[in-house]
Amino acid sequence: MKELVRVTINGEARELAVAPYRSLLDVLRNEAGLTGTKKGCDVGDCGACTVLLDGDPVNACLVLGVEVKGRRITTIEGLQPAPDRLHPLQENFIKYGGAQCGFCTPGVIMMAKALLDENPDPTEAEIRFGLAGNICRCTGYTKIVEAIQATARQLGGGKRGA
Amino acid sequence: MSDLDVIGTSVRRPDMPGKVTGHALYAGDLALPGMLHGKLKRSTIAHAEIKRIDTAKALAFPGVRAVLTHANVPRVLHYGSPHPRSVSVTKDQYILDTKVRYWGEAVAAVAAESEEIAEEALDLIEVEYAALPAVFAVEQALAPDAPLIHDGHPGNLVADPVVVKRGDVDRGFADADLVIEGTYEMGRPTPAYMEPNVCVCQWDADGKLTAWISTQTPFMVRGILAEVLGLPYHKVRVLVDHMGGGFGAKQDLFQTEFLCALLARETRRPVRMEFTRKETFLGGRSRHPGTVWLKQGFRKDGSISARQARVTFNSGAYGSHGPGVTAVGTAALTSLFRCDNVHLEGRCVYTNAPIAGAYRGYGVVQTYYALDIQLDEAAERLGLDPAELKLRNAVREGDLAPSGHPIVGHGLEDCIRRGIEEVGWPTLRHRARAARGPVRRGWGMGCEMHGSSAYPGIKEQGNATVRMNEDGTVQLFTGTTGLGTGAHTALAQVVAEELGVRFEDVSVVHGDTDVAPWDIGAFASHTTYMGGRAAQMAAAQVKRELLERAADELEAAAADLEVRQGVITVRGSDRRLSVREAIGPKKGIPSAHIVASATYRPTKSYSFAAHFVEVQVDTETGQIDVLQVVPVHEIGRVIHPVAAAGQIEGGIQQGIGHTLTEDYVIDPADGRSLNAGFVDYKMPLSMDMPPIRTIMLETAPDPGGPYGAKGVGEDPIIAIGPAIANAVYDAIGVRFRHYPITPEQVLQGLREKHE
Amino acid sequence: MIRFEYFEPATLAEAVALLGRCDGNAAVLAGGTDLLVEIREHIRRPAYVVNIKQIPGMEELSYDAARGLRFGALVTSRAIELSPVVQEKYPGLAQAVRELGSIQVRHRATVVGNICRASPSADTLPPLIADGAAARIYGPAGERVVALEEFFTGPGRTVLKTDELVTEITVPPPPPRTGKIYIKHGRRKAMELATVGVAVSLTLAGDSCGEVRIVLGAVAPTPIRARQAEALLRGQVVAADRIASAAQAAMAEARPIGNVRASAEYRREMAEVLTRRALEQALEAAR
Repeated sequence: MKELVRVTINGEARELAVAPYRSLLDVLRNEAGLTGTKKGCDVGDCGACTVLLDGDPVNACLVLGVEVKGRRITTIEGLQPAPDRLHPLQENFIKYGGAQCGFCTPGVIMMAKALLDENPDPTEAEIRFGLAGNICRCTGYTKIVEAIQATARQLGGGKRGA
Repeated sequence: MSDLDVIGTSVRRPDMPGKVTGHALYAGDLALPGMLHGKLKRSTIAHAEIKRIDTAKALAFPGVRAVLTHANVPRVLHYGSPHPRSVSVTKDQYILDTKVRYWGEAVAAVAAESEEIAEEALDLIEVEYAALPAVFAVEQALAPDAPLIHDGHPGNLVADPVVVKRGDVDRGFADADLVIEGTYEMGRPTPAYMEPNVCVCQWDADGKLTAWISTQTPFMVRGILAEVLGLPYHKVRVLVDHMGGGFGAKQDLFQTEFLCALLARETRRPVRMEFTRKETFLGGRSRHPGTVWLKQGFRKDGSISARQARVTFNSGAYGSHGPGVTAVGTAALTSLFRCDNVHLEGRCVYTNAPIAGAYRGYGVVQTYYALDIQLDEAAERLGLDPAELKLRNAVREGDLAPSGHPIVGHGLEDCIRRGIEEVGWPTLRHRARAARGPVRRGWGMGCEMHGSSAYPGIKEQGNATVRMNEDGTVQLFTGTTGLGTGAHTALAQVVAEELGVRFEDVSVVHGDTDVAPWDIGAFASHTTYMGGRAAQMAAAQVKRELLERAADELEAAAADLEVRQGVITVRGSDRRLSVREAIGPKKGIPSAHIVASATYRPTKSYSFAAHFVEVQVDTETGQIDVLQVVPVHEIGRVIHPVAAAGQIEGGIQQGIGHTLTEDYVIDPADGRSLNAGFVDYKMPLSMDMPPIRTIMLETAPDPGGPYGAKGVGEDPIIAIGPAIANAVYDAIGVRFRHYPITPEQVLQGLREKHE
Repeated sequence: MIRFEYFEPATLAEAVALLGRCDGNAAVLAGGTDLLVEIREHIRRPAYVVNIKQIPGMEELSYDAARGLRFGALVTSRAIELSPVVQEKYPGLAQAVRELGSIQVRHRATVVGNICRASPSADTLPPLIADGAAARIYGPAGERVVALEEFFTGPGRTVLKTDELVTEITVPPPPPRTGKIYIKHGRRKAMELATVGVAVSLTLAGDSCGEVRIVLGAVAPTPIRARQAEALLRGQVVAADRIASAAQAAMAEARPIGNVRASAEYRREMAEVLTRRALEQALEAAR
């Protein structure tokens, strides 16, 4: 039996008919039409499906769609402040080469956002610790870390990490 | 110091905004009206005849729309990995056979209204197997009484053994002052791309198949789908927009694509089939595990008088790229370190293990692991520094490369010298080894070379079409695929530079076999080299026509014209015209439509690398950590510095993985997968990856590449492995001749050393 | 079955009644980071899933000097990781949760869930047992309290009946001059299931060991107290040779299995190495 779930996604109130056994990840990608969040493993090992749930980074594959009623979700599609402007994280991922194939990128960027929200001045070790649950197979992480450090500097932090 | 406008600049990659905003579409993001979901049922036995397969209950399950088994799919033997008429691949697969040859081989396919229903329906398919004796190790498969895995392949050999001879090895060994021999063993890493294999198929009312597939080889896939399904090529269209990594392994077809197309045809609805992460292991392609027996003779001065090797690869249940990997890996041993007398043999053997296929480095990861480590061993026995020994023997200008072509330049020497300087190698080697506590540190270096292009195994060609629009903007049509490496950006940079327009005025059209010119696909590190050269040639032709048109208006000879950054000038005068004005319409004259195509048939160019690595070994736990990597690469011309460095750093991650922690393991008793997931298939993650100080040299440009550029994709994963193994030796004095090097083995090695 | 029916009981009584009616075919959903994985990998196929996150009264974490630490069943591992009082008073537990999965997992995974899943390699079990923790259990017959040391009966098995729920964990206050350490062994630095986990709680009395608890994880069907190792230390001056003997004793008490992660032999060896290091660090911390 599908349940009607009212949830705010990227600032927009949505009403979705959700089967209880379906993950938030599948609901975002199918019922909500937001395919930016990717499915890399579906079992919480890779972080490609990281979204913010009331500001906290979670693996959307390990949350059921029916569990998010009344909550606020932010996906990669909701990160940029305006249609023609990117978030500094996104700009820096482009500039520093933090993405190659791009499949892990939405999850990495959302995790980086959560990381910087909590700790605007992270050391490199803290950045790497924060990203431990995000697998990237293309970059070797070097330029991901650089992009996040650059963003921290830009947003006013970056003293301990620079 | 460069007078180039676009080449050498890390321009903003056009594929990036989509990727960082989530708007880039991958095949799995496609939702077509009425789309069904397909799933595969996989065997739970490694080698068996299918005695009975009953799909009645599955077909009757609510929501199921079609079920396929070997009984109702075309029985056409095909290559699986579809390089046309090349010796690289093997024709030994059916879409679904009456037999299974490895644990997890697909035996049936279901299409249903939802993924959940499809998956539940799989359990309702009844399969009765008659077990056959199974072999998982090469020795077992080569035994005289071994079960035959493929008809027509006696002795379980995938192809005829490769034999390469140069000079006279017997004389060479007789000349040697030191002979070293060893057997090196390689495990089974897998590419583990983040995007699981996926395809979506749809037929139109006119019998044309459109397939969106995460593949590196859309034209090859088109060809094989057409041949196996009995369609003319113009009735098959393959589309690839963005791909989430491939690393070589997504050159193959995986049973899925045919079944997806057939399910779509049967149900007359679009069908999507996506691998689970587990299936990327079960049904994917790994690197070839195997052994390299290597024997070399060295003279007192360190030169190599003879080299003999026997390479044996475990192909797994199907041949895939076995012949190519074996040929390339074996032939690579003719080179890297100079030796006039070589005798090399390579074999590829079927077993009932998971399928090995193409994976970044293509056989050379394995053979150079052995070769470079043995040079390190020789250095010690000869009383020479290993970097010095490798420098003395490094291939150079004029030497014969594995392809038979002469090497251009001194790229390998340049890399070694630069690395030595960068890390202060002599000081490191002679440092005092203070032993405080259980931790030991060591430095090592490893070398490699790799060709850009699959020549001569495949006589490839790169095709490109360049079109200038009425407003002076440019479109490059290329059949090369976008794996995510940034190759398309590089091609656009080449076109912009050659044509003299701004990078922003060039866009790339790719990924549609109905529109793009034919291309063999993105692999063998050839996209920049081959695709780029073709793009450059086509752009040059467009430029010629543009300048002829401009010449009239500027009242000058075309030969006196230059174009840069979108502006055409007359040498020695201040007359100028923008490209847009030159091409645009004039009164009564329509704008020009300039289109040019070019085909480039490359031979070969080689890129080089030397990696310098520091490791730390905990002698109580056996844990090895890589502390820092200084990779030095010579690639002719760096087109996009950030993208090129990104390739190097990513290749290092995969290489650290296969050297220390990655191994896809099966139960030796029954072939069952033991770690088909990211929990137990351990890749280095953010906290495991060391700082990497990437250095790129342009000291040996190849005239065959665009602006001298050569490939870079595969080099890093080859050099890093031996560098780590050699660093571990420097740290603890234990020599490992295999990968992955596990903590248990480190402790065992330390124990044996102290006995 | 991938598909299941789903319930969100509003009270504990409702929840346990529901679990009773489902007669073993129901799974409890708290964080979901184990359950959903097991469903997807076909390890568990519950017909019913009972989400207990709507039940009030299980979200608190509190500490006072008299009663120690208490946290409810719905407290996430991330909350425990970031809790200043846990970091200060129960650093072994803090270290353990810090290495549980990833931050994304920790924002959902509950420590009580980790306990009830009872994997032999679960990270939170050794430090909680070393700290003397107890579980408050709610069932149709009322409440009971079980020391965590007695809670586990086998791999994935506990004393819980199918219609009981753990509602809270209590951990006694740490005595002064106590060092609490947890060391996890894995092949890489994160996203690991422990091949060996060692927790030590060491309280000094003067120069000697007043009390010590050494708990080994992933080397037996359940976490185990290395009692012989403890006996070698209790009441003795804690010197290097004592520590070495205790570590050897711990190794002998370990009964690991071998699997794709590590051989039994290697786990045994690591039990010795990690026990030694944990004791050294606990001693340092206690001073």
